Amino acid sequence: MAAAGPVLTPLELTRRRRAWAGWVRLGRLERGGLIVLALTTAVALLAPLLAPYAPTTAVHPESFAPPGTHGLLGSDELSRDLFSRVLYGIRASWLSALAVIASGVLIGGLIGTVAGIAGGWVDTALMRVTDLFLALPAAVLAIAVIAALGPSLPHTLVALAIVWWPWYARIVRAEVRAQAVRSHVDAARLAGVGRARLALRHLLPGAFPAVLVTASLDVGSLVLILAGLSFIGLGSPPPAPELGAMAARGMPYLFGHPWIPLAPAIAVFLLAFAANLAGDGLRDLLEDH
Amino acid sequence: MRIRRRVGAGVAARPRAERTTTAVLSLRDLAISFPGGVQALRGVSLEVAPGEIVGLVGESGAGKTVLGLAALGLLPPSAELDGHAFLGDTDMATATVEQRRVARKRFAGAVFQDPMTSLNPTMTVGRQVAEVTGSMAAAIEALERARVPDAQRRARQYPHELSGGLRQRVMIAMAVAGAPALIVADEPTTALDVTVQAGILRLLSGLRDETGSSMLFVTHDFAVAASLADRVAVLYGGRLAEMGPTKELLQRPDHPYTAGLLAARLSPESFRGRPLPFLPGEPPDPRAHVDACPFAPRCPLVIPGCEERLPQVTAAPSHAGLVACLRAGEPPPSLLHVHDRFPDRAPAGGRPPALRLADLTKAFGSRRFRHVAVNALTLAVPAGGAVALVGESGCGKTTTLRMAVGLERPDRGTVEVGEGGRPQLVFQDAGASLTPWLTVGELLEERLRCEGVTASDRAGRVREVLALVGLPISVLGLRARQLSGGQRQRVAIARAIAVPPALLACDEPISSLDVSLAAAVLNLLCRLRAELGMALLFVTHDLAVARFVGDRVAVMHAGHILEEGPPETVLERPQHPQTKALVAAIPRLRSA
Repeated sequence: MAAAGPVLTPLELTRRRRAWAGWVRLGRLERGGLIVLALTTAVALLAPLLAPYAPTTAVHPESFAPPGTHGLLGSDELSRDLFSRVLYGIRASWLSALAVIASGVLIGGLIGTVAGIAGGWVDTALMRVTDLFLALPAAVLAIAVIAALGPSLPHTLVALAIVWWPWYARIVRAEVRAQAVRSHVDAARLAGVGRARLALRHLLPGAFPAVLVTASLDVGSLVLILAGLSFIGLGSPPPAPELGAMAARGMPYLFGHPWIPLAPAIAVFLLAFAANLAGDGLRDLLEDH
Repeated sequence: MRIRRRVGAGVAARPRAERTTTAVLSLRDLAISFPGGVQALRGVSLEVAPGEIVGLVGESGAGKTVLGLAALGLLPPSAELDGHAFLGDTDMATATVEQRRVARKRFAGAVFQDPMTSLNPTMTVGRQVAEVTGSMAAAIEALERARVPDAQRRARQYPHELSGGLRQRVMIAMAVAGAPALIVADEPTTALDVTVQAGILRLLSGLRDETGSSMLFVTHDFAVAASLADRVAVLYGGRLAEMGPTKELLQRPDHPYTAGLLAARLSPESFRGRPLPFLPGEPPDPRAHVDACPFAPRCPLVIPGCEERLPQVTAAPSHAGLVACLRAGEPPPSLLHVHDRFPDRAPAGGRPPALRLADLTKAFGSRRFRHVAVNALTLAVPAGGAVALVGESGCGKTTTLRMAVGLERPDRGTVEVGEGGRPQLVFQDAGASLTPWLTVGELLEERLRCEGVTASDRAGRVREVLALVGLPISVLGLRARQLSGGQRQRVAIARAIAVPPALLACDEPISSLDVSLAAAVLNLLCRLRAELGMALLFVTHDLAVARFVGDRVAVMHAGHILEEGPPETVLERPQHPQTKALVAAIPRLRSA
């Protein structure tokens, strides 16, 4: 083993042990959440490879086939493979949620950092603009954007991104300001560190844990909001496989063929639940540091 | 097999031990551990007789606070106890939550280090004391007994309206209100200024004489214990190292650890110009399981037998007490060794002063609530010289320091810094001054890069600097939280001197360190100053430290300097009443 594997320094060993100790201390639920989070991301990325059939074409000989007869989850009202559609639906929801969060972290992080470091009138101006965007109601904005640009998933995402970044701007600003009064920043300043370097190396990393935890908790909320918007018809037009829209269009069959609306609905529930648990787990892990 | 149980887990699972003494507090083989394998206490037996004050002394992590909490039955439910802790007739190690509460109410009072967190911020102090005494009249009487001046008026105030010393007096009033048999006081004066501390210590010893209460007094400072306690117990690594009558134990300590702590302690009589003796190494890991003497790795008298088994607690050879050491009573040679003088420093030889502060003024706050922190202060530090700035909290010494290094801009006056590297500051809390997510290597490297040291020279210089402050190369990859307190302070110093500054400013760099670590850091600073020819501006609240470090001592009060001169003059012939009060309040091992 010693000959083949990489030689670990004592430091790396302690690091691994620390990471492992943190993992072991997590509750079973949180640990499960983190695992499901990793699995879901893998499923979302690999959905085209994992799905046995195309999601938008009729592939089964009969419609309304119960689970297990044709394909894993049966077929829907148009003889499409339900399992493949749910997989693609997870892919769309998950990647959309991540995209909204990524844009929020990027825009909000930038504005929050500038406001937090600059202070004074720059801070005041940026934060009032942020408040302005916080006052916009997400759903109403989404409806307005779609009414103007036409229904499509990217339009919904743009609408969500517009209302999502202010939260991150606030968090990053608060964290940066909290770091700025700590003595390690004074010490770095005395060591002769310039402004840009001070911000990037001594202030911003302090905001990282809070942003990461918020982001992971937000994934769950975004999955739910996206499903809701899609349910009321503010997502991609049919036949795109979206979990919210699938559940909405399957509602008439709830009593006769319950798997058609329930499969996408349960997928939404599991995604949101796992994301929340993973967020809690991540917070517990990071709190140690 | 030892039977372990959790606090408050209901009926005792082991045979009930009977109290056999008249002691107020009687601990028998008490062991306490916490989840995660932390063994805070590893079998301590100790008794506090009626009317007796026992001082419990040890470095941080020795288990002294946990012992105090166990006596009060206030340990968190996750603690596992073994052995017995009789408070009055109740075994706090086995009693239920309710039994412990009753015993506490009947027998005990408590005073903790930080009265601000022990008092309820939403209630007037009078009402809080009345919760114990039953009536407001009795509460005011209790406050008067604790020498709270103008008790009638103070009783109607909230904790945040009182000074630290007064808050502690309120806590004491609550603790003694029920005429308890035992008062547990955990570092009650550590957060206070020396003059306030002296008053609180007088009050506590006076109350013992009035009420006859016993006291378990937890402290890290031998001199504080000496001024109050009848007997002193020294804890090390969760075990009893030595215990005996205060006076005899301090004069003839039998345990090398006690001797080492006493030798490392700075007093106004310590010699100057030579390194302080100190114990090498750091306290043991509370999780480690040792069957040997826990002090063996640091002990100057260690013999092979020390590492084979635990030393038994036996009668001490030099005093009427107990000691746990195979070589008890032998004088530890390396501690008594007179060290070489610090190397002679480069003569100032007509160089301009390293720092000149002239008419410095700084105020904080709004126009309505203006607080003048520094008021027309003038001070000079000669090149290569050392000035110690002494004062009580809130006198403006830290603000002065921050202006001297350029972290704060004065409202008025000038700061002139001599030629050489830019001035550096060693912060009070070294851990907080290291960016938590950067490694030691990254921090040192960054400092060198900012001073224009070329990339090829940096690696070599980093190693040199680590060697200078006595740290191993292996710390380079570690972050602040992975370092011990002493290592953090050394890293902070290493960063400051990576490029030797003309002036090294130090803001109470040892006030949060244990005695032996503090001595090591002081030695390091004095040696570096001489070797690198830096000037030192050293802020401290401790006159003994100021005397050791400074060529000159400046006493500060309310934003300006009261008197300044060579340490002998300032300490032995203080001119100003404020300085006289400071000198008089220094706790001493032996009363003059």
